[in-house]
Amino acid sequence: VTPSEGVRRGTRRILEMLESLLALGGLVLLRDSVEWEGRSLLKALIKKSALCGEQVHILGCEVSEEEFREGFDSNINSRLVYHDLFRDPLNWSETGETLPGGPLEALRALCRRTHPGPVTIALDSLSWLLLHLPCTTLCQTLHTLSHQDSCRGDSSPGEQVHVLGLLHEELHGPGPLGVLSSLAQTEVTLSGAMGQASAHVLYRRPQQRPTHQTQWFSILPDFSLELQGGPPLEPQPYPDPRVPSMDPTTHLTFNLRLSKKEREAKDSLTLPFQFSSEKQQALLCPGLGQATSHIFYEPDAYDDLDQEDPDDDLDV
Amino acid sequence: MAAAATCSTGTRSTGSVVAAASRNSVTSFQRRGPRASGTDSGCSRLVSIAGTRPSVRNGQLLVSTGLPALDQLLGGGLAVGTVLLIEEDKYNIYSPLLFKYFLAEGIVTGHTLLVASAKEDPADILQELPAPLLDDNCKKECDEDIYNHKTESNIKMKIAWRYQLLPKMEARPVSSSRFGHYYDVSKRIPQELIEASKWHGFFLPEKISSTLNLEPCSLSHSYIKLLQFIQNIIYEEGFDGSNPQKKQKNILRIGIQNLGSPLWGDDICWTENCDSNHSLTKFLYMLRGLLRSSLSACIITVPTHLIQNKAIIARVTNLSDTVVGLESFIGSEKETNPLYKDYHGLIHIRQIPQLNNLIYDVSDVKDLAFKLKRKLFTIEHWGLHIRPI
Repeated sequence: VTPSEGVRRGTRRILEMLESLLALGGLVLLRDSVEWEGRSLLKALIKKSALCGEQVHILGCEVSEEEFREGFDSNINSRLVYHDLFRDPLNWSETGETLPGGPLEALRALCRRTHPGPVTIALDSLSWLLLHLPCTTLCQTLHTLSHQDSCRGDSSPGEQVHVLGLLHEELHGPGPLGVLSSLAQTEVTLSGAMGQASAHVLYRRPQQRPTHQTQWFSILPDFSLELQGGPPLEPQPYPDPRVPSMDPTTHLTFNLRLSKKEREAKDSLTLPFQFSSEKQQALLCPGLGQATSHIFYEPDAYDDLDQEDPDDDLDV
Repeated sequence: MAAAATCSTGTRSTGSVVAAASRNSVTSFQRRGPRASGTDSGCSRLVSIAGTRPSVRNGQLLVSTGLPALDQLLGGGLAVGTVLLIEEDKYNIYSPLLFKYFLAEGIVTGHTLLVASAKEDPADILQELPAPLLDDNCKKECDEDIYNHKTESNIKMKIAWRYQLLPKMEARPVSSSRFGHYYDVSKRIPQELIEASKWHGFFLPEKISSTLNLEPCSLSHSYIKLLQFIQNIIYEEGFDGSNPQKKQKNILRIGIQNLGSPLWGDDICWTENCDSNHSLTKFLYMLRGLLRSSLSACIITVPTHLIQNKAIIARVTNLSDTVVGLESFIGSEKETNPLYKDYHGLIHIRQIPQLNNLIYDVSDVKDLAFKLKRKLFTIEHWGLHIRPI
């Protein structure tokens, strides 16, 4: 493998990882924590979508617009449509710049967009929205947002809607996390070891078994992704494999398998109710059968051995 | 003879009775009323509706759930007027399958369908129903999957020779009155069957316009809308006997998907102590009232693994009639357990109703497992005594 081939393979794998995260469409949930932050992965996905020519809408709630746009070059920055909810979420300044109606109205406006074509909507962050909106409303709006393409019958598979939601899993209990997991089509949980970040990705395709994979990566300053092999000292990821379990087919008192001779004997056995030529002969020619069987009768003391037919007395 | 002469006049009258009796049947007992024919109306009192049969235990009118194996476990089928609750598995892969079997059975037997969902459009759900297997050789076709064409010669059945002489049954038409059909999961139901059937859909995002102010009420707004919709359909189409029946009576099959999830406006999956703690239980109570007074049967899937308050799960179970829980092995440690390697999950029959009965039929064997094969969803007893139901 020449170095250039290795680089090409590496870039292919990088692209594959980002593409696979966006492949299913719908809601992509990025769960991060204090130790392993997810905003850089979110920005990497935004950059990928922008470079693919999709429209990108960002609902910024947690960081300011300047801070969010930092690190993107002007080419990408021009493609991003930023909806700012950080500076004045409750619209106190009443300058008319901020979105009226707050975050809910902003989300609903995104649902009602009329531009055709693939679109990526980044929610930074879902945790902020969860804390400020009633949960059921948010879930219903997220569902409408991520299934916009199914409402219009003429969309092709390429025109998907991607909703990227950043969720800080330490802020929420098992209830909201479970519900959002069940709504998401792709779920990325960020963790790591020994200074190396990893993403555990769960793909929930409809009607199919979910698949998952784990990828070690790092994000470069220009928000491109670099895949890593893994931390230098890999700790035991899973508990010890279980004690080799017992095979239930050992120490049985009956036979589970038949040898060839036994199988032949079983197949050649004539069952009592199986119709065969011998049985047919026996039925058609009863005389032959009777010749070989005799009935022996020993009269008891109480038996009445009157040879006359008792029905002769009847006058009918 | 003298005795014969004196009895002659008597025998003439009795002889005619005997002769008459011998003409009709073996005994001289005559059955009053129309003679029951066919397997549908076992009792002449019950109206014979396609796709139903009376229970052998308590005379309840039963409909098939679409899976003959599940029918057997539930004591013959689902009683008309009751609710079948399916506790969803974690990744919601197998419970939609049971939901679709129920609806497909309704289409094949000509029942009216009512499909309610907050997630998918009911028209899309109907497109994904499994195709029915119409032959009576369907069981053999399903067995082909099991044996994989390898050991066919060994498995040839040695049946008693008298039965070989009986004529083979010919295939019946689709709208048969047979109870319980087999379906092929890998194929979709033919379009003409859907178009020939009568169905009503309730897709929540279409029915509920987004209201900015949500007035907190004890029963969630979506549930109220759904109950009104069901009540309207039952009343307009005469399932509760309100309209004079010019046409034949029919069963309404109601299917509600993902009840209790936040998409229905219910937050029991969110927190343990929430405002709408009683929303779902009130809905189930009112739904059961609607069902009991009409000729309908209902299937509901609930994501109980997401419900935070265990007391609500217990209440929901008590308010439903039949409760079946699905537990899939995906993602759990049971996936790698060699005992379970042939199966995809466990199926728990949590509750069977006592309808007009003092006792109810509880299956002896509690360890039931299911497997989704390419064409069929099978339920078996797992363990050493493996046999299909």
